[in-house]
Amino acid sequence: MKRLLKIIEAVRPAFDQGGKLQVFKPVFGALEHFLFAPSTTTLGAPHVRDPLDLKRLMSMVIISVVPSVLAAFYFFGLRFVFMIIVSYAAGLTVEAIFAMVRKESINEGFFVTGIIFPLILPPGVPLWMVGLGVAFGVFIGKELFGGTGRNIFNPALVGRCFLALAYPKAMSASWFEPSHELTGRLFEYFSVGPSAVDAVTVATPLVQAKSGQMCSISHLFLGSVSGSAGETSAILIILGGVFLLFTRVASWRTVVSLLGSFIVLTGALIGGGVVKCGIPGVFGPMMWHLFAGGLLFGAFFMATDPVTSPTTNAGKWLYGILIGSVTVLIRNFTGYVEGVTFAILLGNITAPILDEIVFKFRFRRLASEG
Amino acid sequence: MQFRGGYNILLKGRPGGAIKAMPEPKILYLPLSSRRFTFSEICVEDGQSVSGGDVLAKDPNNYAIPLLAPRAGRVRLQEIENYIILEDAAKLKEHADITDEDLPHIVEEMGASGIKRYRLLTLGAWQFFYDAHTGSLPDPLGTPQAIIVSTVSLEPFVARGDAQLHNRLLNFTRGLEQLQSLLEYQPIYLVMPDIKSDFANLIRNHIRGHASVKMLEIPLIYPFDDFAILARKLGLKPGEGPVWSVRTEGVLAVDRALTLTKPCTVRIISMGGTGVNSPTHIKVIPGYPIKRIKDKYVFEPVSRIINGGILTGELLGTESLGLDTECRGLTVLPELQDREFLGFIRPGWDRNCYADCFLSSLRKKFRERLTTAVRGEGRPCISCNFCEEVCPANITPHLIHKYLYRDLIEEVEEARVDLCVECGLCTIVCPSKIDLGKQIIDAKVLIANEKEEIRQEKLRQEELARKSIEEASE
Repeated sequence: MKRLLKIIEAVRPAFDQGGKLQVFKPVFGALEHFLFAPSTTTLGAPHVRDPLDLKRLMSMVIISVVPSVLAAFYFFGLRFVFMIIVSYAAGLTVEAIFAMVRKESINEGFFVTGIIFPLILPPGVPLWMVGLGVAFGVFIGKELFGGTGRNIFNPALVGRCFLALAYPKAMSASWFEPSHELTGRLFEYFSVGPSAVDAVTVATPLVQAKSGQMCSISHLFLGSVSGSAGETSAILIILGGVFLLFTRVASWRTVVSLLGSFIVLTGALIGGGVVKCGIPGVFGPMMWHLFAGGLLFGAFFMATDPVTSPTTNAGKWLYGILIGSVTVLIRNFTGYVEGVTFAILLGNITAPILDEIVFKFRFRRLASEG
Repeated sequence: MQFRGGYNILLKGRPGGAIKAMPEPKILYLPLSSRRFTFSEICVEDGQSVSGGDVLAKDPNNYAIPLLAPRAGRVRLQEIENYIILEDAAKLKEHADITDEDLPHIVEEMGASGIKRYRLLTLGAWQFFYDAHTGSLPDPLGTPQAIIVSTVSLEPFVARGDAQLHNRLLNFTRGLEQLQSLLEYQPIYLVMPDIKSDFANLIRNHIRGHASVKMLEIPLIYPFDDFAILARKLGLKPGEGPVWSVRTEGVLAVDRALTLTKPCTVRIISMGGTGVNSPTHIKVIPGYPIKRIKDKYVFEPVSRIINGGILTGELLGTESLGLDTECRGLTVLPELQDREFLGFIRPGWDRNCYADCFLSSLRKKFRERLTTAVRGEGRPCISCNFCEEVCPANITPHLIHKYLYRDLIEEVEEARVDLCVECGLCTIVCPSKIDLGKQIIDAKVLIANEKEEIRQEKLRQEELARKSIEEASE
């Protein structure tokens, strides 16, 4: 370690003001601080700090999606590794360029976007689309608003939305059947396209459900269904999501209100006979809808993004209810089969207003207090 | 009472309940300034011999609060700037109470009840009083709407109430009675950690009938012992007169000044923190050489000595020689020396975290070896809301930070930045390492100054208007 630190100290002058590689200072800084904690100390009161920093916070999110990443490997093959690599490479390039132009340091927020983005894409999507999507998401969704902490929309969802609208045909052709074998596709590079013989394009459960075919709940629960790379296995998403809630990085209020409102509204619609369902009863179809599609993934990992969700607790409740009910409405009453993406983006738009309303009430209460 | 927010920082080196006396010093370095006071009016001459309890200097801006000589000795004024040095310090006879010839004079000036307040001020007990809302020294001749007495000190680390009360319960209850005698009908609130304990019952039995004391129980979470928060929770509004607030040491000082009529110069301070070898309470006098304390207790070679606790205390630089008159404790923190390799992916069994992001959240509560490290890079705010969760004053630090970033001073005022009690918790929990506390305090000062300017301007306008009317009438 000492030697590494010496090397860093030796090359530092080149990146400092007036050095040859001054432009690349953010990259150097990111690398240095990735390896070694900063040497800054507190100046005055308070004299200590909490050990949590943004790096740790973001690592927690990455750890919590690891089960879903492993599931994606298992069901859809080694191809997913390349999707992650492309996503990180393209996104980091955009992030680094912006950091160099702004002369700021590279923020950790991207490491989450970079891993979540491939997880919400169809597993067979061409790699260039992965790169394009994430670059678009980071550029338009985040950097144009001023970078980490100032973005209104979740960058991963912006990229996903862009791809869905710009390449609808290619996207809908990229869903394919997951492996049903015990070993999964851990050792296969699985590709789709005109040349691939083993690729079977299969509609997602929600598309099939529109035409009356409903797969079994247990398949949805375990994840052996067609769908976006990381969204299929409900149990692993819940596992990671609950971990994230325990670390208090994600707010349980958002998740509970989102899923709660979704379950209540779906139950009411099915129970009231407004929505017809292939499975008899109310509870069964309710669970089916809960596990199908990207709802759980969106609820645990996308809606809870602290930057784009409201900050106040009351705002979070409203935000969750809004996303949950809008998802139900989009799924059942529009031409789209999957509504989480649009619902969360809609939630992102309303988040500042929800906060504003809560703050207005709070300020009024504070003003009355002497 | 309902409290919100708050967070206990578990620092290693909690001082024990024992009180150890320090050896008598030969020389004392009395600083001419402390947190609230600046003793600019020197009352002695260079080379003059004083006895213990004599007034060395006064602070003209704070009701002429005196700086008393803790020991007899010879005064040196010029040697070191901002210090009065007391050479050949010795524990000889102490300064007498108000002399007989002064007494009628004071009674005439202040009335019979004023004599007690005069004693409090001149015998050094008044410096233990705070105004709950502003934290400044209250007017000794004013009438408070209530007195808050707190036996709880939750900041790591300042002198604890229970350590000081040990064996001095009688003095404490007598002090409460003396406080009561300064009041007419106003209540005394006594803040305790547990009002059903045997100890609380003992106090009740002692003061029965002699003082109307209302006991309050607070959870032992920092900073619920803060006087501003307590006053707010008790519904004592700033507009309705001052709220005197005083801690255990203050009540004991009141007892000493009024019952024994002796000067209060001895202080019990805590000696704690990661860098202290045997954390304890020590009995010292103002001006006690810091070097001697350091030699005895501090074992970390590179460490920071803080005057007060780690959350609100001030850094004691190497240039500070003696303890000031307001010191409540010394906390020693080692300075950061090694940069941690891949710190953010370590399991973190040995570090406490507000957000349960380290493995230590699985283990029982423990005291952590903290250093002065910032432990992360400065980043933009991600609105994680931790600062709002810990804020005991119910304001929203991250929102104020964003308003300040955009220069929206009116909104900052609307967000009630003035309610901030400067506890420092928002700065500590921030994962983006933003110094929210400092920004809020700066904004508070800015707004207060602006308001004061507006008030002055208004007064000037009124003066002008009155003058012009007078001129017109003439």
